[in-house]
Amino acid sequence: MGKEYQAFIENIKEGEEIELNIKDLTSGPHKYDSRMVKAILFSSPEKLPGGDILWIRSRSGFLHPSPWAIKITQELGAYVHQPPYSDIG
Amino acid sequence: MAFRDVRQFIEALDKVGELVRVKQEVDWDLEVGAISRRAYETEAPAILFEKIKDYPEGFRIHSGSLGTYRRLAIAMGLDPDTSIRSIYEEYERREQHPVKPVIVDNGPCKENIVKGEDMDLHHFPAPMVHDGDGGRYIATWHLVVSRDPDQGWTNWGMYRFMLHDNRFLVGFPQPLTHLAMVLRNKYIPAGKPMPVAIVIGAEPLTTLVASATPKIGVEEVDCAGAIRQEPVELVKCVTNDLLVPAHAEIVIEGEIQPDKTAPEGPFGEYSGYRGGGVQLRPLCQVTAITHRDSPILTMSNMGILDECATAWAASQSLAVKRRLKSHGIPVIDVFMHPQATAFMVIVSVESGGRKIAEQIGEVLTARRAAISKIVVVDRDVDVFNLGQVTHALATKCHPARGIIVIEYEGKANPVTPCYSDEERKKLKGATAVFDCTWPIEWSVEYDIPTKSCFTDIYPKELQDKVLKNWTNYGFK
Repeated sequence: MGKEYQAFIENIKEGEEIELNIKDLTSGPHKYDSRMVKAILFSSPEKLPGGDILWIRSRSGFLHPSPWAIKITQELGAYVHQPPYSDIG
Repeated sequence: MAFRDVRQFIEALDKVGELVRVKQEVDWDLEVGAISRRAYETEAPAILFEKIKDYPEGFRIHSGSLGTYRRLAIAMGLDPDTSIRSIYEEYERREQHPVKPVIVDNGPCKENIVKGEDMDLHHFPAPMVHDGDGGRYIATWHLVVSRDPDQGWTNWGMYRFMLHDNRFLVGFPQPLTHLAMVLRNKYIPAGKPMPVAIVIGAEPLTTLVASATPKIGVEEVDCAGAIRQEPVELVKCVTNDLLVPAHAEIVIEGEIQPDKTAPEGPFGEYSGYRGGGVQLRPLCQVTAITHRDSPILTMSNMGILDECATAWAASQSLAVKRRLKSHGIPVIDVFMHPQATAFMVIVSVESGGRKIAEQIGEVLTARRAAISKIVVVDRDVDVFNLGQVTHALATKCHPARGIIVIEYEGKANPVTPCYSDEERKKLKGATAVFDCTWPIEWSVEYDIPTKSCFTDIYPKELQDKVLKNWTNYGFK
């Protein structure tokens, strides 16, 4: 059985490779550990048998009731190379 | 006599029935948060969680430290039943006498020193405070020490930080805070990491002052000494030159990176809502962790009736009062009602009128506009009496002429729930000033209505007679 992850995503795209931040939902002290990945998302676990589950929350934290599936294609490391506050007007 | 550390304070709370020791094992993943949230909302005692799932014996969480005025009074060494007004007056009196810290060679915060490969932030039971938060928030009732590299002054602030992984934290120093301004103006342009120390579990007044706004020229640590009426003992960090409270439970030394960020948030905030969304925010790489044996992780479960509603609101009210006075405004009292969660302030003035109300709005929106509603009342309204304030708002604020709206960009409070994402990014917002004072040109004889209350509408002699005979009439 695959792992379970969580991600905060605003515009969900099925079938396209995207960059996103995922949080590991494996029980234990490291639950919610965070990293950046490239991945392809599927709108239901049935579309990726044996794959990893992705629980999606909106940017404000609202939990989508049904899980998606995620296929991680590349690990991108722990962080984003961008100076802080560069998005503040 | 000041509390030496949070442990002494916890013992003091226990002695007067202001502490619940939860001995049953609880889960750091939401259960601790749910219990503490309910405790705040039912005005229950503070909590010491003594057994945390996944964590060894001795690793504890303390919640609700200054979540009520009673506990703030206890922290200040006052009678727990001290009135809110008296707590404010005492805080204001003590603030006038800064006390410099004492530097010591060692302290309990260094009982354990962890560096290099052994560092792991998961060593501590950082809670998942609310369902839907962006991560495990290890720093919610704490202080962050940083320094201006050119001017040398040390800043204390309270900026939330969550675990990212073993050795990284990601946090939200709001863009207009002292730390953020130094980071943005000095470290980021230079491409240099900013040394910080995140101090968890300092004595409660020391922590409270981190979120206060002391007088210009006074460092927060001196203000902490003032409120404690004793100096704070400081010890040098292991991997940088910053000084931290020696009796703190946990110190996380690190460097905020000038060129790296990670997603942070959302978080159930002091506004009473989980908001703010997910944003790329400052990333802190840990350089050392020091802690006491059997450390106590202090937390504030932010939301309705948290520490921000009481203790922080007290310090902010007095900062507002000081600022208004320095601009020549005839202010009497300032109060932030707990349910207003520091977004609304009530200001009473010796003499009112629209011009005074406008001036108050201008002063409080000149720099960082954290407050979005200001209610200005006359001298006969007790700002601590919400009934009187409501009466003034309902009857004296002209619906067309009495509301002054000041709009701005670049200085709004991004935690304000009613702001859109676009507004938060641009720090765009507004402050409404409700002028609940009589117009200055109105005369007592012809224009200002007499208040239909015992003290205003009956002759003095008759008031005295009624009061003297009150029990004779049959009243208690």
